[in-house]
Amino acid sequence: MRALVLTVNRLIWFVPTILGLLIITFTISHIIPADPIAFIAGDNASAEQIAALKEKFGVDKPLPVQLWNYIVGVVQGDFGVSLYTHRPIANDLLSRLPATLELAFVAIILSAAIGIPLGVLAAVNRNSMLDHVLRIVTVSGLAIAAFWLAILFQLLFAMEWSVTPLQGRVDGWGPDVHTGFFLIDSLIMADWEIFGDVAHHMILPALTLAFPAMATVMRFTRAGVLDAINSNYVDYQQAMGIPRRVVIWRYVLRNALIGTVTQLGLIFGILIANAVVVEAVFDWPGLGLYAVNSILQSDYSAIMGFTLIMGMVFIIANLLVDITHGAIDPREAH
Amino acid sequence: MKLFDTSPGLGRLAAAALIALGVATFQSDAQADGKFVFANASAYDTLDPHAVFDVGRVASRINLYDGLMRWQDNPPKLVPWLADDVQVSDDGLTYSFTLRDATFHDGSPVEASDVVYSIERILAMKKGAYSLFEGVIEPGSTKAPDAKTVVFTLTKPSAIFLATVPEIHVVNEELVRANEKDGDWGTTWLSENDAGSGSFMLKRYDPAIGWQADRFDDHFYGWDMVENPLDSIEFRTVVEINSRVLGLMNGDFHGTDGYLPQDQVKRLRDDDNIDVQEEESMRIFYAIIHNGRAPMDDVNFRKALSYSFDYDGFIDNILSGSVARDPVPLPNNMWGAPTDVEGYSYDLDKAAEHLAMVEGEIPEITLGALAGYGQTEQAAALLQNGLNKIGVKTKIVAEPWPVASGKMRDEQQMYDLLFLWKSTYYADPNNWLGEMYSCDQIGARNNSWYCDEEVDALLNEARTSTDQDVRRANYEKANKMLVDDAAGIFVYNTKWFGPFSTRVKGVRFSPIGNGQEMRWVSID
Repeated sequence: MRALVLTVNRLIWFVPTILGLLIITFTISHIIPADPIAFIAGDNASAEQIAALKEKFGVDKPLPVQLWNYIVGVVQGDFGVSLYTHRPIANDLLSRLPATLELAFVAIILSAAIGIPLGVLAAVNRNSMLDHVLRIVTVSGLAIAAFWLAILFQLLFAMEWSVTPLQGRVDGWGPDVHTGFFLIDSLIMADWEIFGDVAHHMILPALTLAFPAMATVMRFTRAGVLDAINSNYVDYQQAMGIPRRVVIWRYVLRNALIGTVTQLGLIFGILIANAVVVEAVFDWPGLGLYAVNSILQSDYSAIMGFTLIMGMVFIIANLLVDITHGAIDPREAH
Repeated sequence: MKLFDTSPGLGRLAAAALIALGVATFQSDAQADGKFVFANASAYDTLDPHAVFDVGRVASRINLYDGLMRWQDNPPKLVPWLADDVQVSDDGLTYSFTLRDATFHDGSPVEASDVVYSIERILAMKKGAYSLFEGVIEPGSTKAPDAKTVVFTLTKPSAIFLATVPEIHVVNEELVRANEKDGDWGTTWLSENDAGSGSFMLKRYDPAIGWQADRFDDHFYGWDMVENPLDSIEFRTVVEINSRVLGLMNGDFHGTDGYLPQDQVKRLRDDDNIDVQEEESMRIFYAIIHNGRAPMDDVNFRKALSYSFDYDGFIDNILSGSVARDPVPLPNNMWGAPTDVEGYSYDLDKAAEHLAMVEGEIPEITLGALAGYGQTEQAAALLQNGLNKIGVKTKIVAEPWPVASGKMRDEQQMYDLLFLWKSTYYADPNNWLGEMYSCDQIGARNNSWYCDEEVDALLNEARTSTDQDVRRANYEKANKMLVDDAAGIFVYNTKWFGPFSTRVKGVRFSPIGNGQEMRWVSID
């Protein structure tokens, strides 16, 4: 019941948050002195051609009118038409969203699966050689630019050792689309060859994306474990004869994870943002590439559509984090 | 004390997964026989041949569609394509094309009515190549007296009309009409479908990835001239230069664009599996000077600008000699380009002399460059260095192309000077001189606000005359006058360095198609 109240409460805030996001994005994207119509019309376009396109896309109207028209459209499920692709924005976004989400999900699973155990290891071996080595790894993870790491991975694993594909999401065009998540689609089709190929293509971009996230997870887990490990209940449980391994993994970790889980919600948003770079390097046909093109072309509607979708994903991710908090620590639900 | 029970092992599972995934060296399906994969820098946002008119996405137009005529080879030659004959009336107003037997990809015949529909569609949509025909062909004026004859009636004589005809890509009228929605000329449908008769027919399209097409065996031109023609072609969008280059070296792709930075070209040349083909293209690099604003409206100041740019340093040192010096606003391999123009050189003494003749105070000059296009920024920095030495204050403003292209059309917002390229859209001097310096193009394609009566008269006559000798003489004279006037800073004509896998044979480069017409190509 409390989880339901929490969900409803978050959903109520959903509307003004998205509205604020829209207004900010709209304002920023429209005060840039770019002329997307001149751009899409091409450098050979005549003045008449440009004027006709401006009228068609409604960008000849005052800004407040454009903003109002856009919000009314969004409420009706119409995100507008891309200036550049001439297709509905919603179609463009939905066709690319699964590729980005799939990559982000795999990356966050990787970062948690690797980062949490290593964080625990670093904490219980505090100031040991292992802790120092892991500190170097985490600092590197936070400091290394994603595009550089991506190119490094490409050179090493794809070019030098030829053990992974260089780029792309799948060899060829992938499985028939049911969900747009290729791992799931290939499972639905029970096509293990494509599943393996998709997983194979996912290794480098997912690792690139996961590396900085893993560093954050590791640091927060380490801090959380160190904080919890000095609690009285740990001394009590050890005094009761419970093996230290059990104390750490069952009791300490559960308390330590609250901060980590909060971070995972925030990290998910950062992963989506980093996907812009990673997708460009690995030629991953997701929202990141779409966003890059939209920004370069000042495709206002597409930029706002992308921002809106990302805002929604971020809000949902954090809603899930709040619910997970309740599950880990019942006191949070209160 | 063990913290981990390593026996069941996450580590073991991970190792097993890595071994399973990595045990064999990776082979991409680009290595399949008869399939050509091209990594393209621009996204194929639409496949509608009448919606776009750029160089970056030319492959979908020339491989999926045919025009009445076609540009081939280098220097580009205009050859009959869907039409096997063209008659021009004595007054130069009527062009009558006779079609050869050809079929669309759905098996229906290509007829004159399809050509009429195609030009009407271009005129109605006002997109893509529309500007080439604007004011030259009126809607409703093109007729199809019979199934094999199409007649264009121009509003005024146009010497460049034939040169622009290849851009009338013929679409299947019946098919497009069947997919029209609310009078949209089928734009939504055709943006992701194929209604052409070209050498390849669309198999699959994903705006996020690119497109794939299979050989059209019934293409009118036949396939006998190619020993082992491609079975299928695939053009994928790969925005990152490094990814395109590595992909080519790795065998994922068989070709990529020919305007890569020189360090990448060198990298590819060093690879035994890559053949970098070199051709002089028709893409000039120059600086637009805002001739309509003081002090650039003074020819002496413009000459001071022209003498302050280190041409040799730019070409030899920054670009490693990979381009050809071109002192005029026309590619030097295009007819109409005079051979006896020396042009400007880096001479600060002369620059200072001309600067001294400029009346009034010289304000800070804004040097525009295109953000993300390093060459334009390097050129602006080089000019800034020269101008600094003669005491002209400057600032460099690098902005993305959408911003720059908007400012270029506004007299007030236009930079004092902007470095950029002018590509080939049709192989006629008018593509450069006529569009860049005609008075009636000011604010549209003439972004320098240059208007000289004598030059304008020469360009107008050249645009309408059917006498080739007159045209050539006019363009040569106009070139010289523009250089004398220092209307812009004319730097170089581009070379094309087309990198292809050594397995690829038969690439035919044309500046208009950029070597992307795949019907001539085969793979060993």
